[in-house]
Amino acid sequence: MTAVLPRRRTAAIALALLGVGVALLVLRFGPSPSPAKAASHREAPLIANDPPADITDFYMFRSTEAGHAKTVDLIMNVIPFEEPSGGPNYYNFDPSVAYTFHIDNDKDGRADDVAFEFRFKNEIRGAVNALGLPLAYVGGVPPADGSVIPPITALNSPGLGLRQKYTITMIKDGHRTVVSPLTEKITVPSNVGPRTMPDYDALAAHGMYNLGNGVRVFTGQRDDPFFIDLGAAFDTLNLRSPATDMLSGFNVNTIALEVPVSMLTRDRHGPAETTQPWLGAYASTSRPKVTVDGVGRGSKMVQVQRLANPLVNELIIGTKDKDRWNTLAPQQESAFLDYYENPRLALAMSLVFGAAVPATPRHDLAGALLKYGSTDPGYSELLRLNVTSAPGAAWPNGRKPSDDVTDTALQVVGGPSFAGVGDGVSANDKVLPGVFPFLASPWDGRNRVHANP
Amino acid sequence: MTRPRLIAAVTVAALAAAVTLLGGAFRGASSPGALAAVPGTRLLEPGAGSTDTAALVAGLQQRLQADPYDAQGYALLGLAYQQRARETGDPSWYPRSGRALRRALRLAPGNAAATGGLGSLALARHRFREALQLGRRSLRLSPASARVYGVIGDAELELGRYDDAFRAFDTMARLKPSVGAYARISYARELRGRPHDAIVAMQLALEAAADQPEATAWTRVQLGKVYWSIGHVGDAAGQYRAALATLPGYPFALAALGQVEAARGRLARAIALERQAIDAMPLPQFVSELGDLYRAAGQPAQAKRQYALMAVIQRLLAANGVRTDLEGALFEADHRAHGREVVALARRARAARPSIDGDDTLAWALARAGRCSDALPYSRQALRLGTLDALKLFHRGMIERCLGDMLTGNAYLRRALSLNEHFSTRWAPVARKALR
Repeated sequence: MTAVLPRRRTAAIALALLGVGVALLVLRFGPSPSPAKAASHREAPLIANDPPADITDFYMFRSTEAGHAKTVDLIMNVIPFEEPSGGPNYYNFDPSVAYTFHIDNDKDGRADDVAFEFRFKNEIRGAVNALGLPLAYVGGVPPADGSVIPPITALNSPGLGLRQKYTITMIKDGHRTVVSPLTEKITVPSNVGPRTMPDYDALAAHGMYNLGNGVRVFTGQRDDPFFIDLGAAFDTLNLRSPATDMLSGFNVNTIALEVPVSMLTRDRHGPAETTQPWLGAYASTSRPKVTVDGVGRGSKMVQVQRLANPLVNELIIGTKDKDRWNTLAPQQESAFLDYYENPRLALAMSLVFGAAVPATPRHDLAGALLKYGSTDPGYSELLRLNVTSAPGAAWPNGRKPSDDVTDTALQVVGGPSFAGVGDGVSANDKVLPGVFPFLASPWDGRNRVHANP
Repeated sequence: MTRPRLIAAVTVAALAAAVTLLGGAFRGASSPGALAAVPGTRLLEPGAGSTDTAALVAGLQQRLQADPYDAQGYALLGLAYQQRARETGDPSWYPRSGRALRRALRLAPGNAAATGGLGSLALARHRFREALQLGRRSLRLSPASARVYGVIGDAELELGRYDDAFRAFDTMARLKPSVGAYARISYARELRGRPHDAIVAMQLALEAAADQPEATAWTRVQLGKVYWSIGHVGDAAGQYRAALATLPGYPFALAALGQVEAARGRLARAIALERQAIDAMPLPQFVSELGDLYRAAGQPAQAKRQYALMAVIQRLLAANGVRTDLEGALFEADHRAHGREVVALARRARAARPSIDGDDTLAWALARAGRCSDALPYSRQALRLGTLDALKLFHRGMIERCLGDMLTGNAYLRRALSLNEHFSTRWAPVARKALR
């Protein structure tokens, strides 16, 4: 009989962790070409795999780059767990998905004041097309029958067989303006390896565009900047130090946009002059809405995913409500308030560590994540940034790639007993650059490693 | 095939008979969208990361050994077993899946994943009423989950409740557009007789599959089958080849390409492809088609051997809880046509599955038994959605002719052939001959 009790206890803890662990696993680390690493398959069957519409992270912060202090950077990463060697097509944005940054600049919780929408288009071209090669990218091919395919060193190299171009549309107060037409900007391809792409950083630099007026843009592959000791978290929160960054050696696809603060604020002023300094934002992916009786693909879109604050989707919203949560707008968050007031992660933490967590219902989480201030009438799940704060502010005042959101989340959710707790991974495996687009060069397909820390 | 090889194949079949894509594929080449409609395939979303399910299963088993009270672990194991069935065609994964899911529910009654998993298991086993009940139960547990609407809609579709099914698919696509949602919308549009709109939806599914090999290959085969259904043989072949480029050796693409080769009069090539598919996965629809190809090639002994294999596979499926009455009845009506027995089988099958396929199979069984006036109302029912399904139109044509209305009968036969003149290895030549 005595043996039963500890087992029961284990089961209870496991149950409590389930929602947390599985949700984190599936949502953040969902589908993967490397199943041995990504445990995603556990629940993938219940949740459609949709990596190009799967946002892993969203960042918004004042630029820390010299000379760009008056700008804000918006970054969304998609396609979780890109195994760098995942040829022959590697990783691309989806032409049928709309990728959008949404901004609220009047503190009404509705991120409908300014939006930037990215749409992509595929082009099969160059030597790959001419020779009918079953590869997206070739280069550095030694001379054969007189023809040579040079390495890919530019975005018009003949070996760049699958090329994506994109258009950016700004939607301001309902008015659509094409910021960059489709024919111009090219996505930086996945990092295949040194023979095909001998100087990847130089190649990627061609895909960083200065659009003038303080606007810069980049789309393409980067190292996944998120860091977490997921293995330890799943081992019933068996945290350790030093820990292992489970995302070491994996890439993501990035959309990075830098715009002047004055393009986003309500009063159109920069950080020094604005009297309306608060921005609330989220990133979304949408797919065409179709119905049985509808014709063709229709013109409306359905939001597939939204992301504002990190770990909300993974750790707060319950699995059974995730589909609906994703289709709704952030200002409809009051429908999910119960999850913020009775966070499952706190329950799991108290079970595992036996330490006290704040009593429920909790109002601190909703206050921190869903409001600009205590006087807000409603709840809206937005990432909020005060643009008058100095560059370098950390989440939840905006979010930079280097912010250790896992530790912050554990400490906030756990309350005072968990001050100083963390998962032991405090920085990304690759050094994050201090210049646009602020994310490290991706791992190359030939020499990739998943080593740690 | 040498004798030992055949025996080996039978043994493999014994271990690894059909299922995942069985519902549709059983219905044969003439039912192009069928795969999309096949419940079994939905269990696990196409491309649910099948590349290393075996490792996933091993990992889960290990986890459960350490903690035998882990309800979610059992639920996930149950789902992983279904994915194994999908990948291998081995129906013995189903009973294992059922045991794991029921265990999960004993540990945690009301576990949504386990309830949904039992629903998809029931779909895979063609137990549609049970699937519908389980789907509704999981909807109560998880009222806003897109997947659950997929399970419910699939069950309603096979029970002939088309308006309800289409509403469920619309809800699914509104909650979460995905490969699975777009593929279902595509199939519904096809059932409604709108193949071009079906193609558009399937192209969206293909984009949403996003280079995940199994999902992409699966969706390309579905798209190819819609093209095939309206006689765009070249476009169909292009999709099948692209599927094979994505997932070399993908048996569904091999078999479909076999039909293209047969349509082009290259029977030897067709037989080779079909056999390659069967070597990888001895599914009943492949075996039946191979039999028809041998028959068309003037090798009746070989054909007979394949047809005999069908009975073995059916028994295996039944032993693992999979109902195959409808597929079996159509096969029997096609290949044996013994009157009363087949009609009784078709009647039972239609009672369990009152869909347009149930109606069509019963109509055909009655017609093959010479009871054409009894067959006619069922054939009308089978065509009530306006589906452009050459095989069903062919059945109707033969029934009308049997009743003496040659004019109407021939018009149906011409419609079938004008949709796709190669709609069936077995029956397209019969339709052509009748019209001469």
